[in-house]
Amino acid sequence: MYLSTTLSEVPWLLASDVVADAVEDLIATLGETTATPYFIYRLRDAMLSDTTGRRILRDRPRMTSKTIDVARLQQLPENTVGRAFVGWLEREGIEQDSRDNVRYIDDEECAYVMQRYRECHDFYHALTGLPVFVEGEVALKAFEFANTLLPMTGLSLFAVLRMKAAQRRRFWNTYLPWAVTNGVKSKEIINIYWEEQLERDVDELRAELGIETPPDLRETRRRLREERKAAQEKENMGEQRQK
Amino acid sequence: MRVWDGLSSRGRVSFDSRPSDGPIAYMTENQNITRGLLAALEQQAPVTVFDKTSVEDIQLGPPPDSSLSSLNLSSYPHVMLSSKQRIGARLLVGADGINGPVRTFAGIPTRGYDYDRHGVVATLKLDMPQDEEVETKAYQRFLPDGPIALLALPDGFATLVWTTTPQKAAHLKTLSSENFIASVNAASRLPIVDIEYMSTQPDGQTSELEWRSSINPANELERTGAVPRTIHSVQEGSIASFSIRLRQATTYTADRIALIGDAAHTIHPLAGQGLNMGLADSQALASAIIEAVEHGADVGNELTCLNKYNGEAWMRNNRMLGVVDKLHWLYSMRNPAVVAARGLGLGMVEQFGGLKNWFMRQAGG
Repeated sequence: MYLSTTLSEVPWLLASDVVADAVEDLIATLGETTATPYFIYRLRDAMLSDTTGRRILRDRPRMTSKTIDVARLQQLPENTVGRAFVGWLEREGIEQDSRDNVRYIDDEECAYVMQRYRECHDFYHALTGLPVFVEGEVALKAFEFANTLLPMTGLSLFAVLRMKAAQRRRFWNTYLPWAVTNGVKSKEIINIYWEEQLERDVDELRAELGIETPPDLRETRRRLREERKAAQEKENMGEQRQK
Repeated sequence: MRVWDGLSSRGRVSFDSRPSDGPIAYMTENQNITRGLLAALEQQAPVTVFDKTSVEDIQLGPPPDSSLSSLNLSSYPHVMLSSKQRIGARLLVGADGINGPVRTFAGIPTRGYDYDRHGVVATLKLDMPQDEEVETKAYQRFLPDGPIALLALPDGFATLVWTTTPQKAAHLKTLSSENFIASVNAASRLPIVDIEYMSTQPDGQTSELEWRSSINPANELERTGAVPRTIHSVQEGSIASFSIRLRQATTYTADRIALIGDAAHTIHPLAGQGLNMGLADSQALASAIIEAVEHGADVGNELTCLNKYNGEAWMRNNRMLGVVDKLHWLYSMRNPAVVAARGLGLGMVEQFGGLKNWFMRQAGG
């Protein structure tokens, strides 16, 4: 998830919960302050230009562990948006959590837009299937940046600099091109009324929005790991034979 | 008069006359002008008015026959009326609109183009308490498709002139009167994004306006008169639209022909200059005719009379057409740099009294 991953980028700070809380706070503040004045208005206007976006702004629904009933979502048929969401939570081994309240955006409506963006972030993960470790998170941030233009999402891309060479290659060759084309060509994802889409077929929703799922990052990593392991074993066996 | 920019919060000008100077300009309905002109004509004997009659054809007179007693009217335009009467004219003045038969007869071409905009007009009743003093302010807000103007009429009525794309104009005309009123109210106070959204919806403008007004309250602006009062109702059958064009005849005169008003030029309504220009034309033509008559010259001759009118009116109108055309383009741009620059420009007009007075005189004609 967005915060915990950003935190995992700074493991040396995780030593204490106090520091972690401070960092979490700092990141939220950075996100809010860089979004004003221009970018949050752009995102709000994107919502105001869309029928569903306007309905979200009228209702101002909040998404928390209380309003999203994970137990109920588990009962939903296979391949629904709700099931994809809980499936993703399970796969990543995390729990649906509540997001911090927006504090540094004066305009009430814009503050809600920021809140909504924050609360929907996990659904973007579920929709794209991207995992929460740095590599997946960065790919999703690139997608969000192309789609929402929020500066914070763009700033997160500096994390690329700290990735391993192989990861960085994957990012430049696969995930960044995917993020840019999909982020730009798909509809504004902020205009999805997730609460109403939970029972929909997830592929249908993806098709409607114009989002293709990127190659499965967890799967790719697992495969590469196994190949490496196999190569290693082979090498070991060769060495043994030589002895 | 209040003028402001829909895309910029700073671009706002208030034109207020000093009490001693009287109003900046007057708004009057076409009916009143027509009635006034007819009353004036009645006192100018002998003038014959051909009522309920149209022009069927205009031709030059027949070539002279050999008998010396007949007049040579072969250079005189002859107007054939639907009542089968035939009038030969020493001077034929075409005040017959953009594609009138007089300009066609004279073979005078026009230059210009269509703006791809329609002007939606309507007569509206403003929302205001009975006992309140009647406001006489004119409002104009520049939106990216064109300005919306609400011009005060007596007794709490106002005239709407809303320049917008032909599609949006057609859409406005399909709305119920509640939704039409909500759209006009929205266009004079809400952010552009809301106005654009509402212009795509077949229904529900009323509820959208109510919701957005609660988010962006304009109460204070309304109280201080910075935005117009909300509209209470629209007069039935008063909603109409016309296409907006820029046209200028290459010349206003030919032998025994003079063009005035829309027959000579049409202009974008954003500065409200169409009528003023037409009135100035007739004044200039009248003074040229008076001078010719006083000197015993032929009023239909270009050299002795009409060139004076053409020289005076054509260049003046051309300047106005050019300025208004540029204003249209300037205000149809959404580029933030352009928006900032024109906000600065309006701000300067607001600050400098001299500049402001000059604009007021221009607007008043």
